[in-house]
Amino acid sequence: MTRRVASIVAVALLIGQPAPALAYLKFGVPIRGQQVTVKWAQTPVRYFVANSGVPGVSAVDFQDAVARAFASWQAVPTASITYQLAGITSAAPGSDDGSSVLGFRSRPDLDRVLASTSFLIDSSTGALIESDIFFNSAFPWSTAAAGEPGRFDLESIALHEIGHFSGLGHSALGETELIATGGRRVLSAEAVMFPIAFTSGTIAARTLKADDIAGISDLYPDGDFTSAAGSVSGHVTRDGRPLFGAHIVAFNPATGALVGSFSLNAQGQFSIGGLSPGPQVVRVEPLDDAELDSFFDSSQPVDTDFRVAFVDRAVVVPKGGDSGEIAVQVVRK
Amino acid sequence: MRQRLILLLGAIAAVLGWSNPGWAQPPEPSSRLELGVGVRWIGRESLGDKTATETTGSGGALSLFSTQSELGSAAGVDGRVGIRLTRSLIAEAEASYVKPQLRIAVSADAEGAAPVTATETIQQFTIGGSLVWRLPGRRWSPRFAPFATIGGGYLRQLHEQGTLVETGRFYQFGGGVNALLMSTHRLHTKGLGLRADVRALIRTEGVSFESGSKASPSAGASVFVRF
Repeated sequence: MTRRVASIVAVALLIGQPAPALAYLKFGVPIRGQQVTVKWAQTPVRYFVANSGVPGVSAVDFQDAVARAFASWQAVPTASITYQLAGITSAAPGSDDGSSVLGFRSRPDLDRVLASTSFLIDSSTGALIESDIFFNSAFPWSTAAAGEPGRFDLESIALHEIGHFSGLGHSALGETELIATGGRRVLSAEAVMFPIAFTSGTIAARTLKADDIAGISDLYPDGDFTSAAGSVSGHVTRDGRPLFGAHIVAFNPATGALVGSFSLNAQGQFSIGGLSPGPQVVRVEPLDDAELDSFFDSSQPVDTDFRVAFVDRAVVVPKGGDSGEIAVQVVRK
Repeated sequence: MRQRLILLLGAIAAVLGWSNPGWAQPPEPSSRLELGVGVRWIGRESLGDKTATETTGSGGALSLFSTQSELGSAAGVDGRVGIRLTRSLIAEAEASYVKPQLRIAVSADAEGAAPVTATETIQQFTIGGSLVWRLPGRRWSPRFAPFATIGGGYLRQLHEQGTLVETGRFYQFGGGVNALLMSTHRLHTKGLGLRADVRALIRTEGVSFESGSKASPSAGASVFVRF
C-alpha cells in the first residue's frame, strides 16, 4: 500500500493556503487518471482527543466541545457517517501515526489560521487513513454556552474542521466585506463550511445548514437518500464560452434551503446534489466573497467578471434523478 | 385560452336566448344517464412568499433575495358522467385536465441581480366525484334547472418534462344551471343541453410551497347529452 500525505487546508479565519481542485463539495485526488473522492472507507471513524487545554478552555471543556461537534455531524439523518472517541491522548495532532487526533498547537506564525485539518490518504483508493485537526492556541478560545466576547467559539470551529475531517471542502454560501486592515469580515454565512469564520464572540456557526447536510449526505448517503434526493446540473457560459469557477446556488422556495456548488471544469459544468425534489430557483454569482484559493488551486482560471443572475425557469429536481442540463448564460459586469 | 372560454360562454348565452321556448314547452323526458364534456377554468393560487437568507454573526438573518410564487389561472377540458339517483339527486364522476403555469417571481437581490420570474408549466389531472342536487321549486323555466354541487377527488400534477409527479386531493362546492336545448327520443337520447357552473376549489397537497390547503375559483361550461 502506498501512502502519501495530502496537506489539505481547513481553515476558519482568513486563510492563505491552497486547497486541491474539486474541493467542493468533496475533496478529490487523482488516481490513475481518475478523480477519486476522498472519504472514510469504514465507520465509525475513530478519533483521539488531546488531554491538554488552553487558557479559558480546560481539557475536559475541549473534549466536550469536540464531542458536541462530532455529534452534530453524526445526527444528520440522511448521512451514514458515525464517529467514535477512541480515547484521550497526550500525542499532538499532525503526526502521521495512523491515529486521528484533535488538539491544540501553538502556531503564532499562522496569524490568520484558527484551525487546520490534515489528511493521510491511501493513494491507491482515495480512502482516508488518518485525519488530524489542530486548533491554534495562539488565539483566545471559549466553550461558554453563549459564547464570550473576544474569544472564538471552539465548538463552531470544530464543527467546520470535522466537516473537512469527513471529506468536505469549502462552501461559498456567505457574504463578506473587505476590512481596512486586510482580510475580510463575514457578514453572513449559510454553511458551516464557509471558509472564513465569524468574528470572535459568536456561536452562530454551531448549527449545520442545508448546504452542509447536503454535502455530508452526498458523501455518505444513508438509507434511501440517493433515491429520495435529486440534483440540478448544467453549464455556465459567458459570451458563448464556458465559465470556470462560477458559484451556482439552488434555492428551494418550499423549505428556504440554499445549496451551492461550482462550475468545475473546462466546459463550465456544474452539479448540485442532495436536493429535495421539487422546483428550485437557481442563482449564479461570481466567487467574490472569499479568497479564490480557499476553493481552488491557484492555477485554476477562476473567472469572476460577470453579473449575478437567476435562471428564468423553475428548475425541477426529480426524486433520485437529475434536472437535466440547465444552460446558464451570464454577462460581463 | 381565457379569450376562447369567454367566447364559448358568450355562445352559450346566445343559444339559450334563442332557444328559450317559454312556458308552453313540455317537461323534459325522464332520463337516468347524462354525459357531458366542456371547458373548465381554474383561478390562480398563491403558493406563498419566501426569502432566501443567510445567518449573521449575531444569529439574525441577512436577506439574499425574495420569492413570490403562484400557480397561474388556466383553462382546460373536463368531462363527466352522471347517474340519476332520485328525482333531484345525481351522482357524477368527472375528470379534468388543465395546464397552469408555476411562476416564481424573484426580486430584491442583495447583489443587484435583475428581477426575474422563473416559470414552468404544470399538467394537472383530476378525477373525482360529486353529488348534484337539482334545486326544487327554483325553475323559472322548464328548460332551466339550477343545481348545487359538492364533491372531491384525486389530483395529479406533473412537472415540466415529466420529471416529477405530485399528488393531492381536492374538494369543491358550488352551483350552476342546466339548460335543456332540446328533448328527443332519437337514438336512445332523451335530451341535449348546456351546463354552466361556478365552484370553490380547495386543494390539499400537490404543488405547494407552504403548508395548508389552497383555494381558488373554478368555472365551467359544457354540453351534455341525456340517455
